[in-house]
Amino acid sequence: MPQGAARRIGPRRRLVVDLAATANLIGTLGKYLGVAALFPAAVALWYREPVWPFLLAGAITSGVGLILERASARSAGHVGVREGFLVVSLTMLLTAGFASLPYLFAGGEQLDHPLDAYLEGMSGFSTTGASVVTDYEGLSKSILMWRQFTQWLGGMGIIVLAVAILPRLRVGGRQMMESELPGPEVAGLPERIRETARMLWTLYVALTLLATLALASLGWLGIDERMTEYQALAHAFSTIPTGGFSTEPDSMAGFSPETQWIVALFMLLGGVNFMLLYRGLVRRRARLLARDEELRLYLALGLVASIAVTVQVWGYGIASGETAIRDGTFQAISVLTTTGYATADFALWPMLLLLTLFGLMFLGGSAGSTTGSVKIVRHLLVGKVLRRELDQTVSPEVVLPIRLNGSPVDERTLRAIAAFILLYIGFWVVGSAVIGIDSAISNVDLGTLDVMAVSASALGNGGPGFGITGPLASFAPLGDVSKVTMILLMWVGRLEIVPVVVLLTRNYWRR
Amino acid sequence: MRIFVIGAGQVGSTIVEALHHDHAILVLDTEGHRLTAIANRYDVATYEGDGTSQHDLAAAGIKDVDLVIACTSRDEVNLVAGMFARREAPRATTVIRTSNLEYVDLWRAGQLDVDFVVCSELETAHAISRIIGVPAARQTDVFAEGQVQIVEFDVQEGASGDVVGIPLRDAKAPRDSKVAAIIRGSEMLLPGGEDVIRPGDRIVVIGSPQAAKEWGALLSPGEATVRDVVIFGGGRVGATIASVLLSQGIGVRVVEASKERALQVAEALPDARVYNATGIDDDFLERERIGKTQAAIFAMRDDAKNLYAASLAEVHGVPFTIGIAHEAVSVAAFEHAGIDVSVNPRAVTAEEIIRFAHDPRTQQVALLEGNRYEVLDVTTRDTSRYVGSRFRDMPIHGALIGAIVRNGTAIFPHGDDVLQSGDRVIVFTESADAPRVVEAL
Repeated sequence: MPQGAARRIGPRRRLVVDLAATANLIGTLGKYLGVAALFPAAVALWYREPVWPFLLAGAITSGVGLILERASARSAGHVGVREGFLVVSLTMLLTAGFASLPYLFAGGEQLDHPLDAYLEGMSGFSTTGASVVTDYEGLSKSILMWRQFTQWLGGMGIIVLAVAILPRLRVGGRQMMESELPGPEVAGLPERIRETARMLWTLYVALTLLATLALASLGWLGIDERMTEYQALAHAFSTIPTGGFSTEPDSMAGFSPETQWIVALFMLLGGVNFMLLYRGLVRRRARLLARDEELRLYLALGLVASIAVTVQVWGYGIASGETAIRDGTFQAISVLTTTGYATADFALWPMLLLLTLFGLMFLGGSAGSTTGSVKIVRHLLVGKVLRRELDQTVSPEVVLPIRLNGSPVDERTLRAIAAFILLYIGFWVVGSAVIGIDSAISNVDLGTLDVMAVSASALGNGGPGFGITGPLASFAPLGDVSKVTMILLMWVGRLEIVPVVVLLTRNYWRR
Repeated sequence: MRIFVIGAGQVGSTIVEALHHDHAILVLDTEGHRLTAIANRYDVATYEGDGTSQHDLAAAGIKDVDLVIACTSRDEVNLVAGMFARREAPRATTVIRTSNLEYVDLWRAGQLDVDFVVCSELETAHAISRIIGVPAARQTDVFAEGQVQIVEFDVQEGASGDVVGIPLRDAKAPRDSKVAAIIRGSEMLLPGGEDVIRPGDRIVVIGSPQAAKEWGALLSPGEATVRDVVIFGGGRVGATIASVLLSQGIGVRVVEASKERALQVAEALPDARVYNATGIDDDFLERERIGKTQAAIFAMRDDAKNLYAASLAEVHGVPFTIGIAHEAVSVAAFEHAGIDVSVNPRAVTAEEIIRFAHDPRTQQVALLEGNRYEVLDVTTRDTSRYVGSRFRDMPIHGALIGAIVRNGTAIFPHGDDVLQSGDRVIVFTESADAPRVVEAL
């Protein structure tokens, strides 16, 4: 062997993840993210409220981003698949931090505790809609709008937005975008990711404008006195991303029936696969919509859930007539799409109704929508796998490819879906246990179903739970451990678990 | 006619055998010994050369021929040879053999510049569908890629009163079908509305595959329609048979030994039930009750395996077995061993090409009743005096238009439909009148 060869091999490298590249990309994202604070700043300016909390938050975020980017620029390599998971996971955490800064600066007493502010931030960016706010009067209009705006930014995703705008993410952005987009990668992204990202955001913005216009016109026509332009925009920001924050303490209950129906419709739209919606509406291929198995099941489940809740609401005498239908439909769609709005305090409803809503928490909307939870397509495919298992029990040799909309689905995808569902259940159970134990120790009044609902609701990015954490109440009374657990569940749930959990494996870092 | 045959294999030699009496044939092949074998048996010219070489084709004299048949076992060679033939001899008709259905589809869509494409797998599948497609049928021929069937039935005692014993104009005949002829003893008539079908007659029906099946059920109520078959071997032949039978509404199970291939077939044919198993697995045959199927088709690559699997299936109780015999000699061996029907893919391919060679403009000529009647498949010219006229106004000169194929789709015309230029017309006619009918269209 030549003398120099052994020396060239060099020492063993233990860490295979390029931290510098990760930090560099996160820095870039942070640098641009800070700009988002200009919107609430403008709102503050309009309503003559203090502008500095937003400008400061934006400056801190952009500044930290810039420093991170500069510091790591020299040694940063290429962002690969490994780094992608880390970027997506950490960006989510940092974004929530950014969202919480204005709350700390100007949120007053109810948001000045860092943990509460961070919970509110994570709840916003993960489009959960669980809030610690109790006194809405005490918050300025700009802070309330910032809450709504964080949901809107988080709904279609920061990374997806970055891919659409930043030239830098043209390479290597695909896997990160797939991590951030809800739902399993059944078909892969058909177009170039940049086009896909632009298409998604275009439709997203268009739908938001449409919702704003629809709601505002109710105000203009005098149908709903409370629906001002401000309210219309604030609620569109929360409806399309199926978030659930409201500017009102009683959620949607105080608005007129017409408003509630329109919001229900847009929640339902927010739960449709945006890529499918784009092809169906913009490219005029309505047959794609009509034939899509997931969409059909989603709408069927929406209908069944609405009827089931309506029948009970009417049957229990909670409401009757149009009110019963509206309350039933609204609550069913709100929970199904993991929005979390309410037109009635369903925390007070009887057990059977609560169980119905609890079951809906595990469904979610379509893949590629803004909803959380498990997603319809996963349930659909798991159902098909189960049917195949039964068939193969009788005929072991039969070969049955699983199909979705006629095309065969890869077995690896099916395994990934099964793994996701097991992880989802695991996180929910552990989350419930931790919140349950913490509540028992710190004397928080949460029943068994309430505990399970809080965990499911946080993991599924739904929002409100039952009992004292109901839709018109707040999460403020929960213990700190419960709040940390909720933050973790929302974080993991928004990224659909795997990109985060993969960071916990030894192989990820070492080989 | 001067015919240029590229490829002296099984298909090539079958074609030569059928055509060498009436035509001047030149055979080209890369293998000298094959050419010697063919030249020793038939009076044909041979040329040793490469079908993909423009130089060889020109040197062999392709310029002067009327018909080029590229029938080697390799698709690419046939395609390239067909392309060069078109350049070197623009006026010659070109026929190529393929084993890829995609090329057939391309050709039908007008994307492949040859006059006729014959796919061995498809011809085999059609041959099998002719065998099991229609009960009580004496003979079945398919036209327009299987969309039109011409079936000869024996009318038995006990046939349905909806069609038998009453004038045809009152008969409740299946949709999309026509009675083309009634054969009574030695007499044969092209029926009008007042004619009556009687038990003991033989009739010829032109119609859709579905209508043909309904006719079968009407004419022989006792006999079962085949609704369920098992195909052993999911290769290209097996998969094509499966897809053709599925398109006729027959339930298909496919047994394929290779795991990968089984998955491919299952993905390609959602309506078939595919098993990853071998045809000689006794437990499997028992568990899946293969013996209860109505017919089994053995389409594995190895003739010996087909033979054994067929015997085993018969042991399990399969009442009707069809074997794919890849080697010509296997046909006799299969029949000797008790397989009900054998199909040799190369033979049916050659037959199809020979049919075409008889008259390139009629894509398929079925001969019924010992050559007295013919079914012609003719494309209408602009100059035909019948273009633009309604079917009810056309005079009957001992001919009947059974179906037309317009833009690749079969239409079963009614009196008010109008014949258009470029329609492929499927005509039933007396042999004596055939040239006149072709001329008129």
